[in-house]
Amino acid sequence: MNCLSSICFKPCVPSKVLYPRTSSTKFTTMVRASLQDPQPPNTSQQQQLNLSVLRFTLGIPGFDESYLPRWIGYGFGSLLLLNHFLGSDSATVTPAQLSTEVLGMSLASFSIVLPYLGKFLKGAQPVDRTTLPDGTQQIFVMSTDIVDGLKEDLAWASYILLRNSNAIAALIFIQGDICARGYWNTTDDSSTEILLGFFKKKVENARLYDLKDTLYFPQDADSDFQDLVPKGTSSLLVQPVLQASIDNATGLQKPVGFILLSSTLRYAFSIKDRAWIAAVANKLRACV
Amino acid sequence: MEAGTAFRVVGVVTVNTHIPIPIFKKSKTTAFQSRFFTCSSPSPSSTSYRGPKPKRDFLADWVSQNDDVVRTLPIYVGSASLFAVLFNRAISGIAPVADAGSSQSRADLLTLGLAVTNILAGLVWLSIRPKSIAVVNPQGVQCRRLCTALPHVALTELLWVWESLSDITCCRSLVIVYESSCVLQIGFAAESSSGDGEAVSVDINKLIQGSVYQGVMKSGAQSYLANLSLYPGKSELSFLPSNTQAVILQPLGDKGIAIIGGDTIRGFTTSDQAWITFIGDKLDSTLAKHCNKS
Repeated sequence: MNCLSSICFKPCVPSKVLYPRTSSTKFTTMVRASLQDPQPPNTSQQQQLNLSVLRFTLGIPGFDESYLPRWIGYGFGSLLLLNHFLGSDSATVTPAQLSTEVLGMSLASFSIVLPYLGKFLKGAQPVDRTTLPDGTQQIFVMSTDIVDGLKEDLAWASYILLRNSNAIAALIFIQGDICARGYWNTTDDSSTEILLGFFKKKVENARLYDLKDTLYFPQDADSDFQDLVPKGTSSLLVQPVLQASIDNATGLQKPVGFILLSSTLRYAFSIKDRAWIAAVANKLRACV
Repeated sequence: MEAGTAFRVVGVVTVNTHIPIPIFKKSKTTAFQSRFFTCSSPSPSSTSYRGPKPKRDFLADWVSQNDDVVRTLPIYVGSASLFAVLFNRAISGIAPVADAGSSQSRADLLTLGLAVTNILAGLVWLSIRPKSIAVVNPQGVQCRRLCTALPHVALTELLWVWESLSDITCCRSLVIVYESSCVLQIGFAAESSSGDGEAVSVDINKLIQGSVYQGVMKSGAQSYLANLSLYPGKSELSFLPSNTQAVILQPLGDKGIAIIGGDTIRGFTTSDQAWITFIGDKLDSTLAKHCNKS
């Protein structure tokens, strides 16, 4: 299936609409009974100081300025230690200097941690870019005896998951059928049968058949799942595909498969990413 | 992409629902989690998965829950340190001259530099804080109209699209027109002038001949009207609630269009737009196959 033509979209919104000078939520004096929430007062405007002037770039390719506090923390912390041991005799170090040095080292430690804290703030942009691990091959393999409808959905789902998230490898398992796509540690020129056997073994060893809860490992996933994910994986998300069990009076959902996504980025899948991935899982369960 | 929390499931018990998810409304969050993040009964022995379980990342959760506090924290830390250094110099009887001649002064200068770095980092964090925009409840009536001539497979996919969009994005209205017929009108719609509580039907001829439809079909690309109230062609979308805040017009190939109305200005993110584009392609493929058959 190749239902995915080239994708392009452009918002036809004038730039001044995206960044209005005045509050675009102001309404005129039209009186009507409606469910509209009352507009907040203009205090939000007054609080919006233009601090964007403080943002800058050094223009060094590959260097992200949000990590600057960390490097300054390392540098100044080292200089403080140097100053303490080499700048004066240990006998002549005054209590005042010690206080300053303790405060300085605390600040240096805090500066080193700052970029890590900033990663979890709303509006923070991902710093790192997805890299492809060494020794991986790009593959696309599917079980051979899948019905056409499910085959199309698996192809579409694997494509959209790799395209719209930071994942570099996807493995979808639905009632014994496998679809693997992306960059995996496979040998060159492996046949479809060999690849399918390779992935089937991975799934069996990981015992993910009856998974009912979402598993998300945002970092160092390859240390816990060496045999399951490509080498160099940092983030791993396993989203179960559940089917409502009609016979079960309690309404418990029966696991029929899972979607596995791996990425070389840490904290690769945001809440919204995980929501969309769960939506794709729900799409696949309808095909079962 | 928005910063997210480190989502965790502790053991095999229920999803941790008390972590506030800042992107969605609370009602949507609850409904979405109950549908998509399905909870199994708390019975560890019911699953055969015995592998590693994710650990709770308390720091990431705390930062996400206290976003405003964390943003200003470096400013307070830096300012307090700055005053502490000056106070230390004052009470120690050191001359108020910050030269690098003495070990004390060098240490003070380095600490001042670190304090200023922290203050600037805090100010930069404040500058990247997303502007919060109020949600506007749609003014209209709920409706659910499907083209029953379509097979079950197509209808299931249409309803999946609606459930996904309404749970994950700010979508409150969805209209899908394909091959000059309205195959889906669901969510909030404008109330008809007769006042009988019925929703306004989609006038297909008017829509197809209008500039909105023509423009999208001509470009073949998604169109995002982030603030619908400023768009002159808003009158062509009279079937949507009058206070719809944002609209995405997604072409479905060259035969149809999906009109997605949202309740927040600029409520659809770049990620949402990308997902909607791909969903539009899938819908086009499905509807093309099944509309030809029916």
